[in-house]
Amino acid sequence: MTRVAVKVILVVLTCAAADCKKPPQPGDPLGGLSAAERARFDSGRVVFESTFTAEVGLGPLFNGSGCAECHEDPVVGAVGDEVERHASIFHPEQPGFSCDLLAPQGGPVFQDSVTPALRAALGIEREALPPGVSTAAARTTPDVFGFGLLDAVSDSTILSYADPDDRNGDGISGRPNRFFDGRIGRFGRKALVPALREFNDGAFQIEIGITNPAVLDEGTVTGRPFPAGTDPAPEPELNERGLVLTDAFVRLLAPPAPLKQSREAKQGREVFNRAGCAACHVPVLRTGDNPIAALSHKDVAAYTDLLLHDMGDGLADICFGLATPNEFRTEPLMGLHLGTQFLHDGRAKTPEEAIDFHGGEATRSRDLFRSLPAADQAALIAFLKTL
Amino acid sequence: MRTIASPVVTLLIATLLAGVAAQQPTAPPPPAPQATPAPAVSHDTVRGAIRAIDVNARTVDITSGVGFAIHVVQLRLPTSLPITDRESGQAESIRLGELRLGDVIRASFGGQAAPFVAYTFERVGRMVTGVDTLP
Repeated sequence: MTRVAVKVILVVLTCAAADCKKPPQPGDPLGGLSAAERARFDSGRVVFESTFTAEVGLGPLFNGSGCAECHEDPVVGAVGDEVERHASIFHPEQPGFSCDLLAPQGGPVFQDSVTPALRAALGIEREALPPGVSTAAARTTPDVFGFGLLDAVSDSTILSYADPDDRNGDGISGRPNRFFDGRIGRFGRKALVPALREFNDGAFQIEIGITNPAVLDEGTVTGRPFPAGTDPAPEPELNERGLVLTDAFVRLLAPPAPLKQSREAKQGREVFNRAGCAACHVPVLRTGDNPIAALSHKDVAAYTDLLLHDMGDGLADICFGLATPNEFRTEPLMGLHLGTQFLHDGRAKTPEEAIDFHGGEATRSRDLFRSLPAADQAALIAFLKTL
Repeated sequence: MRTIASPVVTLLIATLLAGVAAQQPTAPPPPAPQATPAPAVSHDTVRGAIRAIDVNARTVDITSGVGFAIHVVQLRLPTSLPITDRESGQAESIRLGELRLGDVIRASFGGQAAPFVAYTFERVGRMVTGVDTLP
């Protein structure tokens, strides 16, 4: 046997012993799916990638003509450069229900595109903000990788990290947001939405103007009904199977595999913990029972607690459910290496800038980072760029 | 953004939108042998948070929705309708004036236009504290 052949055999045996698997690439499905789950994932990708036209229901108001128009870079399901407008009115004097999410005006998302029919009827290029609302918050497009795992984390796990009154005195006081029916929220930059399926179903109508069995109402133009003839497609414009498949694609997308860590990055992980970042950016969440085996009782390196935290006046914009203008959900850091802009509105162009914008409960960690030796700062950034 | 155009993909999309096409009749449907009149009142349920209360008009506005697709349902509560408080795990009757903004309610209702008429109305929790049980 030649020396080369021996080496090949050794590599193969070593790999087999270590259960070598190619890490998932962005856009890949979770490992361990059944054939049926994989088939639904593949079919769902087709819906996710499809482009809707006005003839099949696009609009009349919309932000994109399909899911992948925004979630596209570098692959379908990833980030995009689109920035949306969200708005609400905060009534701090009204305890219990202090945030008006403008439901009579069609909700907090204001669309930036119109179909030719609506443009012809109203002469508008986008949906106007309601009277009394002068500014809108900017929201960038996040990737949706690993969202099925976040959905599978139990409410009790999320609540186990909550400390609304900061009883442990660490300066961190996370609390859950809640949807209007009282359920704990977790999706969206302010964690309003409790379930991935609902987020997806609602997004078809809000983002693309595609009605479906979950949202049969086309909505309004800042509270006014759409003019006759501007929405020719009958409702629902997408059927239940379309919703189910799209949900399967998003739900079964694998979280981005972390990049291989250099020695500097490994040191950075220690700095991350020392600086207190992990108090909110909890490195690993454990999923609960789930009918999909690939989502059941799995660790997900999400680097979030899915709770709201006061991020200070500098980042404050709008209220959202129970979230005050200052409060944001801890942004998951998984997939950070794929990002091209950071924070909810994309104001930070680098992870260093994002850290610098932290305030509120994160002030102490931010200041600790600023006071670190340059080598430690570099190590922390190197670590973040592997996530 | 990529646009998929293979025959398989086209077939799948057509299937998903087929529900739409199927709802567009190409010819008038034949009359039913024993046609029953369409119900005058549609029925629905809502679970959401109170955003406004008008005690004099006996109307309550409920915020609900699916994801970010949020809407308001306005209900009129007949004077004869009991309002049940299940927030504490018990089932007690309360007055309309005892409801508060942010109360999480569950209701069934009917009617053709807002305000819809409530058939049942229960307070099940508070938005700030959550609910004891889920449907």
